[in-house]
Amino acid sequence: MQTATFSNQDELQRADVLRLGLWMFLSTVAMLFAAFASAYLVRRASSDWAQVELPSTFGLNTLVLSAASAVLEAARGWGMTRRWRASSAGLGGAVGLTIGFLGGQVVAWQQLMSQGIFLPDTPHASFLYVLTGAHGVHVAAALLLLTVTTVRTWTGLGRRRFARWAVLMDTTRTFCHFLLAVWLGVLFLLSNY
Amino acid sequence: MSATAPVMVRTESEHGDHALEFGVLRRYVFSTDHKIIGIQYILTGLVMALVGASLAALIRLQLGWPERQWTFLSQLFPKGMPGGVMTPEFYLAVVTMHGTIMVFFFISYVLVSGFGNYLVPLQVGARDMAFPFLNMLSYWVAFLAAVVMVVSFFVEGGAAASGWTAYPPLSAVAAAIPGSQMGQTLWLLSMAFFIASFTMSGLNIVATVFSLRAPGMSLWRLPLTVWSYFIAAIIGLLAFPPLTAGAVMLLLDRHAGTSFFLPAGLVIGNQLLPNQGGSPLLWQHLFWFLGHPEVYVLILPALGVTCDILPAFTRKPVFGYRWSVWALVAVGVLSMIVWGHHMFVSGMSPFTGEYFSIATLTITVPMTIFGVNMMASLWGGALRMRTPMLFACGVLALFGSGGLGGLFLGNATADMQLHDTYFVVGHFHMMIGGVTLFGTFAAIYFWFPKMFGKVMSEGLGKAHFWLSFAPFFIIFFVQHFVGIEGAPRRYYSFTNYDFLQNTRGENLLISWMAMLLITAQFIFLFNFVKSLFAGRPATANPWEATTLEWTTSSPPPHGNFGAAIPNVTRWAYEYGVTDVNADFAAQSVPSSRVPVTA
Repeated sequence: MQTATFSNQDELQRADVLRLGLWMFLSTVAMLFAAFASAYLVRRASSDWAQVELPSTFGLNTLVLSAASAVLEAARGWGMTRRWRASSAGLGGAVGLTIGFLGGQVVAWQQLMSQGIFLPDTPHASFLYVLTGAHGVHVAAALLLLTVTTVRTWTGLGRRRFARWAVLMDTTRTFCHFLLAVWLGVLFLLSNY
Repeated sequence: MSATAPVMVRTESEHGDHALEFGVLRRYVFSTDHKIIGIQYILTGLVMALVGASLAALIRLQLGWPERQWTFLSQLFPKGMPGGVMTPEFYLAVVTMHGTIMVFFFISYVLVSGFGNYLVPLQVGARDMAFPFLNMLSYWVAFLAAVVMVVSFFVEGGAAASGWTAYPPLSAVAAAIPGSQMGQTLWLLSMAFFIASFTMSGLNIVATVFSLRAPGMSLWRLPLTVWSYFIAAIIGLLAFPPLTAGAVMLLLDRHAGTSFFLPAGLVIGNQLLPNQGGSPLLWQHLFWFLGHPEVYVLILPALGVTCDILPAFTRKPVFGYRWSVWALVAVGVLSMIVWGHHMFVSGMSPFTGEYFSIATLTITVPMTIFGVNMMASLWGGALRMRTPMLFACGVLALFGSGGLGGLFLGNATADMQLHDTYFVVGHFHMMIGGVTLFGTFAAIYFWFPKMFGKVMSEGLGKAHFWLSFAPFFIIFFVQHFVGIEGAPRRYYSFTNYDFLQNTRGENLLISWMAMLLITAQFIFLFNFVKSLFAGRPATANPWEATTLEWTTSSPPPHGNFGAAIPNVTRWAYEYGVTDVNADFAAQSVPSSRVPVTA
């Protein structure tokens, strides 16, 4: 895999700043979910806790989000070797898969509701809606960033300003992979405890 | 810790005089210039301070003269003060909003976001913040937060009344008291905006300090102001999200029927609520996980600016620079693991209480090192008792006095007795009230010439200091003793309790002093406005100080440093030097002793 080469020092600095800013932002997101997880563990100790069966679509949704991350990684690799058409197509695929994940989460909520499980019914159900909702909001934000990256790749940013494209791509993939990791953590929490 | 600084290469084409090409809206309203945004934060915070101070006046009117009818106030607050006498519900709303506004919308806006925005890029030698657009967005979200908070006074039921800590069930059940209705929902919404804004602001500060330092500006050459903002920003970024999580769950408890914080068996208006199994203590943990670090988010910048102000008026370097930096770092880490000392009486395990006691008392070690370093910075100095110096000394006095009270409250055994009494009120007002207030004023008097190119009146400034410091100290010193006598906080009247009759005289004294303190702030406002329009023009470096902001014009141009970014060759406190024709040397003055660091 080719390493991004920067056209000038300014781009290098921009990349550093963005990378640092992104990781600081991801730290705040991690703390948000850590707080939810702590609350979950505390609340779970109460006597009225009743485990809800998780929607069957969660498994498929997990595969879809994982596929989105994998395709995104492939799209980055194609971009790094200047195969822009393939990279754009890959990014488009990642956008589609991410939309698919969000759609799948909506279906999961509908499954719960069709079983008569609503937000206030049990503490586990409340956390199920809250955790998936909070995660979904962040995935929607990542989808926005992913869409911008896709459009800019499609319109030739990489050909014109490769270093800037590489920064945008790195930011996008880090955010998306991070949210996959968060989702796996959320799923583990909801299903095992 | 790296001793090398990154290369600052933001090109002049991005800054220069391009600001002049913008219209008034882009230059002064929706500006991305950190200096304008800083001033916007400061002015917004000062307006909010007027609201917060007015609420303090109402509190003290009630506590000082509980039986008196204030007929003119009944016209202003027909529901809250019918016939000129305050209702208990209105008192709770006033107390809640006073605390909320002062902590989150005055000190946070003026000292943390305001001066943080203004000073950090200038002091590290950057042309702007790392993310200028995000910076502008952060201000306008903060402005929206303030508007929502103020609007909450005028909705049905009035403003939130569950305390600035918003403890459930009072904050979670809309039918509990009038202030639990829409006012509480708006309170939560406003706090969500505030947290979003602070996150954007904090990201900017961290990224700017890490990545945009001028050539030669190693970490060990950063002024303590920058270090304090840097640590405070990291604390804020990590501590605020749990409150966001708590706020989401509290909103759902209020509006969606969930039971995160509401236990079984609650009866409101003779009706049993359907909630089951929720834990009000869970909210307390989430709140204080933010709430205690927030204390340091507010205090550290006050201590940082004080450390930069002292040397300019003692004409000698700060004492123990590196120890102070490590103390800030240690406080930052420890601040995240001591929150439980606010909950000693919540029924927590004695072992947990013991842990929180030890952790809390441990944090006094770095804080004491910092305080001793500040005091030692005065030793042997050629003191110039100008207004900023007076306020800086005020910070020292309040930090020492208030910190002493913390030793009692950090100890679980003593806290059992003192919890929720006026001892606590006196303590935290000296710390997050006094240290930050006097730090804020010290910063305003010190950097006003840089910000506006005008010098504030010294006579009015000194009058402002003495008429503020004396009553402030008396109010909160005496409150410690009122607390020891057993007076509980948040009670709207003490006249019904025999054991509190002895505190009547003290309450009267406190109320008179509070009125004097509030009145004295009009001297500041007059001085501020008068100096702004008719002040004497300021030179680039009126205090003969050393940090980078004093090497550029007053006020600095867009892009801060003209054509070239300064090259830093010295640490931030080059006072009493011998290799130049003055007793100080700015950080960018070439040095024959290379490299010069702490």
